[in-house]
Amino acid sequence: MKRKRLIMAIATLIIFIILDVLVVSGHVHVEFPWSHIPGFFSLFGFLGCLAIIYGAKLLGHCWLQRGEDYYDKDDEHE
Amino acid sequence: MSNFPLAIIYMLAAIILPLLPRQIRSAFYLIASVAAFVFLINLEAGASLGFHFLNYELMVCRVDRLSLAFGYVFVIMGFLGGVYGYHVKDALQQVVALLYVGSSLGVVFAGDLFTLLFFWEIMAVSSLFLIWARRTQDARKAGFRYLLVHAFGGSALMAGILLHLQQTGSLLFTHFDGGVASYLILLSFALNAAVPPLNGWLPDAYPEGTVTGSVFLSAFTTKVAVYALARGFAGMELLMWAGAVMAVYGVVFAFLANDGRRLLSYHIISQVGYMVCGVGIGTAMAVNGATAHAFAHILYKGLLFMGMGTVLYATGRNKMTELGGLFKKMRLTLLFFMVGAFSISGVPLFSGFVSKSMVIYGAEMEHLGAVVLLLNLASIGTFLSIGLKLPYFTWFSKDRNLKPEPVPPGMYIGMGLTAALCIAIGVYPALLYNLLPFEVHYQPYTASHLIESMQLLIFTGLAFWLVMKKLHAEAMITLDTDWFYRRPSRLAFAVFSVSICEFFGAIERLSLRLARYLVRFGANPAGYAVEATKNARHVLLHTEKPSPEPPSFSPDRYRIPLGFMVLVVLLLLIVLLAWDFLF
Repeated sequence: MKRKRLIMAIATLIIFIILDVLVVSGHVHVEFPWSHIPGFFSLFGFLGCLAIIYGAKLLGHCWLQRGEDYYDKDDEHE
Repeated sequence: MSNFPLAIIYMLAAIILPLLPRQIRSAFYLIASVAAFVFLINLEAGASLGFHFLNYELMVCRVDRLSLAFGYVFVIMGFLGGVYGYHVKDALQQVVALLYVGSSLGVVFAGDLFTLLFFWEIMAVSSLFLIWARRTQDARKAGFRYLLVHAFGGSALMAGILLHLQQTGSLLFTHFDGGVASYLILLSFALNAAVPPLNGWLPDAYPEGTVTGSVFLSAFTTKVAVYALARGFAGMELLMWAGAVMAVYGVVFAFLANDGRRLLSYHIISQVGYMVCGVGIGTAMAVNGATAHAFAHILYKGLLFMGMGTVLYATGRNKMTELGGLFKKMRLTLLFFMVGAFSISGVPLFSGFVSKSMVIYGAEMEHLGAVVLLLNLASIGTFLSIGLKLPYFTWFSKDRNLKPEPVPPGMYIGMGLTAALCIAIGVYPALLYNLLPFEVHYQPYTASHLIESMQLLIFTGLAFWLVMKKLHAEAMITLDTDWFYRRPSRLAFAVFSVSICEFFGAIERLSLRLARYLVRFGANPAGYAVEATKNARHVLLHTEKPSPEPPSFSPDRYRIPLGFMVLVVLLLLIVLLAWDFLF
C-alpha cells in the first residue's frame, strides 16, 4: 500500500517535470529564480503543505491553543 | 434612471417588510432584490446624484466601473442569501439583512465621505443584529465585542473624515494622499477588512451568527472595505505586504480551527489578503484582480457558509470533533460545498481559478517574487483546509451516527444557484472580466498556468494523503488578537467596575453603621450615658464588668427629680448674678 502511494507520487512528479520542460519553460513571461526548475510547483506544493500542517501545529501546541472554556472563566462575575 | 441610489430601495423594503403578513415576507425580500437589480442594470458609469446639505455638497450616488462591479455582486449575493434563507420566519433577520445589503451598496456608491460614514455605521449595526438574532449566550457576548470593535473603527473613520475636511475642505471620496487624516481612515478601512492585527473580531463573531446571517456576514463587511481601500489607497506598498502576510496568516489559523464556520472565517481573512495585496500593488492588472477576486470570493464563500450552515441546521453541530460520517445522509450538501471548495482552492473550471490567478499575475508582472510565493503558499493552505480537511472530517472520517433533520428546499436551491454561478464564472471568465474596472488583458487558461496550478493542487493533496491518518481535529480554541481585548477585560473590569463598586460599598456600609448607632443612641441617650460611666468605672476602678447592652429606655428609671432641675436653674441664676456684680 505504502509502496503504491510512493510510486504514484513519483510517477505524477515525473509527468509534471516532463510537462514543465516541454510546455512551461518556453513560455515564461516573467523570470523568477525558480522559473527554470522543472517541477518546482510540485515540490512547493508538497513541502508547503507539510510546512503549513506542522508549522500550524507547532504554533498551536506551543503557544496559541487553549481549552475551549479559556475565555468563559473570565465570565464568573455574571 | 442612471443615477438612482440603490440603498433607498433596500431601506424602503426594510420598512415595509415587517408590516406584511408573515407568509409573503420572504417572497417580498426576493422581489425587492430583483427590483434593485433592475435599477442596477440601468445605472450608467459616470452618472452621479448630488445635493446640497448644510454647507456641503453631498454625492449620494456616484457610478463608475469599480463601484458597479461591487454593486453587481452585492445585489446578486443579497438575492442568493434570500433564496437560501427563504424558510426564515424571523422578521428581525429579514429586516436587518435588507439594511445590511442596502447600506453596503450605499457605501459602494457613495461619492462623498459623509454618505460613506452614514452607511458605514448602518452596516455595522445591521450586521450586529444578524449575530444577535441567533439568541444564544455566546452570540450575545460575541455581538457585544463585535459592536465595540466596530464602534472604535467608526469613530476612527469619523475623526479621519473631520480632519480630512478641515485640511482639504473637500468631502469627496477619492484617492487619499497621506497625512494623519488618511491614516485614521486607513485604520478604519483596515479594521473592516480584518487586516492583522485588527482581525480578531471576524473569527470571533462570524461563527456565532445565525445559519443564514453568517452567509450575509461573510459577503459584505470585508469586501466593502476592499472596495474602500481600492478607491482610497490603491498602490500603497504597506497594503501589498499586509495583504500577502494576511493571506498566509489566515491559512495558518484556519488549520488550527475546530469549528467549521470559524475555519471558513479565517479563510475570509486569507482571501481578503489576496485582494488587499492586489490593491496594494495598485496596477490596473492587480486592481482588476482584486475586484475579480472579491466578486468570485463573495459567491464561493457564501456557498461555503451555506454548506456549513446547512450542516449546522440539520445536525445542530459545527465542530469537526463532533461531526463525521455524513456522506450518505447529506450528499447534495457535500456536492455544493465541494463546488465552493474547488472554487476557493483555484481548481481549473471553477471561479477562484480565474480570479485568484489575476492577483498573482499582477504580482508577477511587478517582479514581486516574495509576494508570489506567499500567495501561492496561501493557495496550498486553502486547498488543504477547505478542499480536504473540512469535508473529510465533516462527511467522512469517523461515523458519529448523526441523524440530520430534513433541510428546507430553499436552502438547496440557494446553494444550487450559487454553485452554478461559481462554475459559470470558471468556465466562461468573460462573464466576470467584462464587469471589471479596467480592460482585461489576461487569459487564465494557458498551458503553463494550468500545469503550475495542477502541480500545486495535486502535491498538496498528496502531502495531505500521506499524513491524513495522523491528523485529527482538536477540541481547542486558538488565541488570536482578540485576546488583547478579551483577556485584559478582567483587569479593566476590576479597575473600572469592581474597585469603584467596592469603594462606594465601603462608604455605604460605614454610613449605615453610623446611622444604626445614632438610632440606638437617640432612642436612649441617658442609658448610654449611664453605660459610659459604668464602662469608665470598670476600666479605671476595676469594678465588675457592666452588661454590654444598655437597658431599654424606661422613663421612670432615668427620670431626673424635679428638685434637681430647680437646683440647676437656681445655680445658673446665681452664676449670672455673680457675673453681673463682678464685671
